[in-house]
Amino acid sequence: MEKYWQIEKVNLKYHVPLHVLVCILILGISPLLLGVSNLPAEDTAKVLERYVALTGIILITPIFLPEQDKNIRELVNSKYTKSSAVYLVRLAGNLCLLAALLGIYIGMLKHNNCQFPVIKYYLGTFAEMLFLGGLGIIFYRLSDNLIIGYMAPIIYYIIAAGGGEKYMGVLYPFSMSTGSYTEKIWLFAAAACLIGDGVFLKIPRPRLKTGCP
Amino acid sequence: MFGQLFIKECRQTARSLIYWLIVLVLIFDFVTQLGEMDIAREPKKGQENYGMKMSDDKDVIMETALGGLTEEYLRESYTTYPIGFYKSVTLDKKEDAKIGKIINEATGIKGRDNLEKLWEEWYTAQEEKMQLQSGQEPGEAAEGMEPAMMQNLVVKPAEGLTYERFEELMDQADDILGGGSNYAEDYRKKNARVPKTYEDAMTEYHELIEKDRLTGGYARLFSDYMVIFLGLVPVFLAVTRSLRDKRASMNELIYVRRCPSAVIIASRYLSMLVMILIPVFALSMVPLTQCMKHALTEGISADPFAFAKYILGWQMPTIMIALSVGIFLTELTDTALAVLVQGAWWFVSLFGGTATLTGGMYGWNLMPRHNTELNWEGYQEGFARLASNRILYTSLAVILAALTVIIYGQKRKGRYQLSWKNIGRSKK
Repeated sequence: MEKYWQIEKVNLKYHVPLHVLVCILILGISPLLLGVSNLPAEDTAKVLERYVALTGIILITPIFLPEQDKNIRELVNSKYTKSSAVYLVRLAGNLCLLAALLGIYIGMLKHNNCQFPVIKYYLGTFAEMLFLGGLGIIFYRLSDNLIIGYMAPIIYYIIAAGGGEKYMGVLYPFSMSTGSYTEKIWLFAAAACLIGDGVFLKIPRPRLKTGCP
Repeated sequence: MFGQLFIKECRQTARSLIYWLIVLVLIFDFVTQLGEMDIAREPKKGQENYGMKMSDDKDVIMETALGGLTEEYLRESYTTYPIGFYKSVTLDKKEDAKIGKIINEATGIKGRDNLEKLWEEWYTAQEEKMQLQSGQEPGEAAEGMEPAMMQNLVVKPAEGLTYERFEELMDQADDILGGGSNYAEDYRKKNARVPKTYEDAMTEYHELIEKDRLTGGYARLFSDYMVIFLGLVPVFLAVTRSLRDKRASMNELIYVRRCPSAVIIASRYLSMLVMILIPVFALSMVPLTQCMKHALTEGISADPFAFAKYILGWQMPTIMIALSVGIFLTELTDTALAVLVQGAWWFVSLFGGTATLTGGMYGWNLMPRHNTELNWEGYQEGFARLASNRILYTSLAVILAALTVIIYGQKRKGRYQLSWKNIGRSKK
């Protein structure tokens, strides 16, 4: 247990602060850009689904970032602790931070007299965050490129925002604002698959030739 | 040296996964938005409707805005769109009283009670009118029928109110509401919509085929859809390219070469620009061919170079700025920060431009919108602002690229090195 806590401590100290800061900044400036008080349920859902959920991309996608350097990755792979365990610890830590940020934001909306079912919207938004982050994780894992990891969920978001309901079916991310919640369950299931595959998938990477026989 | 490097960079881009993902995204954008494009036909007399248009009539603008303000004042809730996102504004007593005063001066109606009476009378009259139209007795429910649209409240301005004073009052109301309300200059004109007549529709059609030579209008529509993605996706390519040398541990090897920094950065930048323009030009061939075929059968003298002009004049500055932000911030920070910055800029530009979809109101938006092949007149009126907008962003892109050359040069000399991790460690 001590070992895992050490992994998370390093993550919190070196890798997460900048990402958390960006998330706080995004959420902090939202009252300047959007209505966050006296909103009816559909408009609250709009704020959560179209704005707040974007923080999922920022906090979940870069869990492999420390191993972006191939030398570090090889060093981590040579250790007794499995790399998937390291990723899971980082993921769990980032998800806790994300859940806390979302909780604070939802609390602020409720305090500002927005009318909405709190638990339902909390879980729905969290499912969307997981899905967007999961998309990022799987694309990052497959391409070994953080930028592609960011690009995939952002493109998904743009297509959805540009009237993608007919293409995305049950994986349409903005369903709460149209009064439907089934999509959130599908998004959660898809997110579990994407994140699971991303963390446990073993992708052989070409190694540099050393010239040794 | 530049030519060789340029070709090498183009080859590298063509071999990168991210480039082909961007091409796929552009194809998807094109197919979903313009895949089933219909070329406009000449309007026929006696059509049920010819669409709506914004009214220039000052009376219509005043009546619509005052009607809207009165309704929102009575509901005690105001709708605003500061960056295109819905924002509901509830005023405190002092501000509410100020809006009351504005309505009083603009309409000549005193007190909330009188306004409520007016509002009730308007909707009762509307309901009766609709029921008469659907052949029902007043008060009878319309079972199984879709309710017809009610016309929003329209309030006549007070006698002697000049348009200038009306504008001042609406600006005051917009300020009280925090901006982006239905009473801001752009919105109050946009909200004053009236049905187009046959003559209006014919005028627009003639402008499309004579002044725009058919292809001009469709090139604008093509640009409108393409800039949505072109305002963002080039940054992914630029960031990936700028981080590639570092990831491959090739930085030091390249730094010691004799090639000037300006040549290295310029060749990278131009190769990315050209490689992104290639699929855009290729996609434009589809609507261009469609337009040219239609022009041939209808005897219209179409401009075959219209799409090329619009791609270079309208879309290229947007691509350039996204690339420049990408290379500049990546060289500066050695991180993917540019994705976040460009993403935020894109987000604000996209949702901030939702009120300007009809064209003509280009402002300083990174992605100017004109979501129709028509409205040549609006395009002409807004052309000076559009040209300034595009020149500004092109200049900004060139400046950022030049700054990137300077930073890259300093890195090669070992005078500049900054990464977030180093900052963290230096604190120890």
